[in-house]
Amino acid sequence: MSDGQPSPTSGQIVVSGLTKQYRNVRAVNNLSFTVESGRVTGFLGPNGAGKTTTLRMLLNLVTPTSGTATIGGRRYADLPEPLRHVGAVLEASSAHKGRTGLNHLRVLCAAAGLPRQRADEALALVGLTPAAKRKFKGYSLGMKQRLGIAAAMLGDPKVLILDEPANGLDPEGIRWMRGFLKGLAQEGRTILVSSHLLSEMQLLADDVVIIAAGQLVRQGPVDQVIGSMTQGVRVRVRTPQAEALAAALKDQNATVDADGQGALLVAGVDAATVGRTALTAGVELHELTTERPDLEGVFLELTAGKAGIR
Amino acid sequence: MNLVRAELLKIRTTSTWWWLAVGAFVSIVLAFAFNAYLATVVLGGEAGNVGMSAEQSTPAAQAANIYTSGQYLGLMFVMLIGILMVTNEFFHQTATTTFLATPRRTSVIVGKLVAASLLGFAFWLATTVIDLVAGGIFLTLNDYGTQLGEWPVQRALLFNLLAYAIWTILGVGIGTLITNQLGAVITAAVLYLVGTQVVGLLFLLLSNLLDTQAVLKWQVIWPAVASQVMITEGQSEFVPAWWVGALVLFGYALASGVAGILITRRRDIS
Repeated sequence: MSDGQPSPTSGQIVVSGLTKQYRNVRAVNNLSFTVESGRVTGFLGPNGAGKTTTLRMLLNLVTPTSGTATIGGRRYADLPEPLRHVGAVLEASSAHKGRTGLNHLRVLCAAAGLPRQRADEALALVGLTPAAKRKFKGYSLGMKQRLGIAAAMLGDPKVLILDEPANGLDPEGIRWMRGFLKGLAQEGRTILVSSHLLSEMQLLADDVVIIAAGQLVRQGPVDQVIGSMTQGVRVRVRTPQAEALAAALKDQNATVDADGQGALLVAGVDAATVGRTALTAGVELHELTTERPDLEGVFLELTAGKAGIR
Repeated sequence: MNLVRAELLKIRTTSTWWWLAVGAFVSIVLAFAFNAYLATVVLGGEAGNVGMSAEQSTPAAQAANIYTSGQYLGLMFVMLIGILMVTNEFFHQTATTTFLATPRRTSVIVGKLVAASLLGFAFWLATTVIDLVAGGIFLTLNDYGTQLGEWPVQRALLFNLLAYAIWTILGVGIGTLITNQLGAVITAAVLYLVGTQVVGLLFLLLSNLLDTQAVLKWQVIWPAVASQVMITEGQSEFVPAWWVGALVLFGYALASGVAGILITRRRDIS
């Protein structure tokens, strides 16, 4: 596997030159990226960027115009027992409103040739056992989302693909999901999660794949992607003697800008250096904060000007 | 086969089939009452009053009619079940999970077709048992015997089975062609209930236009007419032989099944 050739049992996802042309719009345009196992990968992009279409092509629900998408080296349609390899939670996957949650899972077990008791086990896994015999139409949004995750976990898959799983979850549910997915990744599974909740992704993801207008914008570990941006770590400092401090800092080869709200933004030196410089210069400080760029800032900068609606 | 089991489980775990079974039962009761009344009149020697020919007035022909009571609407109900087996997947957005569990879509549709014909069989069995018990009692009480030894009666029962299986399969085919649930159900029901009369009228106009009555036979190309022809005893200038009806109906089932598979294989699920 070291030479990049995924073995049939690995959970590496490889998307290569994937394109989907609809009548009027090229939803996905020559998209290539890889997703490694044992990590949570965030799949990010503005609304309409082609995230859902990409995931559906990966799962053989939508036929690509050109290009390939493989999981462990095989197309989804060629996996002998797909639910044992890949679990998926997609936005438009639902259940019959008149069917109970447990029966919904039992139908899937029957179709996939999985033992019947996996339905009960999967419900227990997502904490939905008390609602097992309730009909789907009586489920809350969060319960529906959990049922979707239970369905994805039926075959105990090595690869989990989730499309906007946090939608409809309350803060407690989101925290539960974060722990759940991180735990699964630590077991060596591949987790690919699409989302536009960037603050949540920064907490959850190890890697990110950012797309816009159907094309790849950036791929890599979260820290690297954030670090790659021009705006590095900056120090915000507030003082009544701004000009004196700015002059002293420039002597330390720092770049100093006004933030327009009475504070200075200092780049090139750390907070300790700013504090020491101020002390030496006899300048009074009211605020001294290190500001790290976050995923949201990076994302907005990367996708700026690439309209979500095409 | 896993997929057939899954499809039958899908039907069992919702209440739709139950409502359609109730509908079928009600139509059996009404049709049986009507057919029993008709038999009393016809076999009482007043066949001319209700426009029946001598061939249709034998005890065996009347028994066949009684033993297949409820078929007219029953076939529509099994067709609706077939339609719902497909359109439910789109209406409730379960197509995604279904095709994730089984990416080989041909197998999914074949599973539905097999499950549909099994279900058609179950509906036929229930209908026939009810008709046999009630009809046997009725005929025996009126001193005609059960008539079950007569070939026309046996033939009617057997071909009724074929009709049930084929109409359910036809429903699955229609469902894949029209995935909109309401659209498919209404279209199919209207075509089934009203279509026959419209087709009859069109052919009547056509025969006037061409100045020949031979074209009337061709009404058999309409599935509901074919179904009638298949279980009808005897042929005439206007009605082709039963096997023509059987062939036409079989052709429709095959065509809709194949079309359903081809369309489903190509469709994007989103």
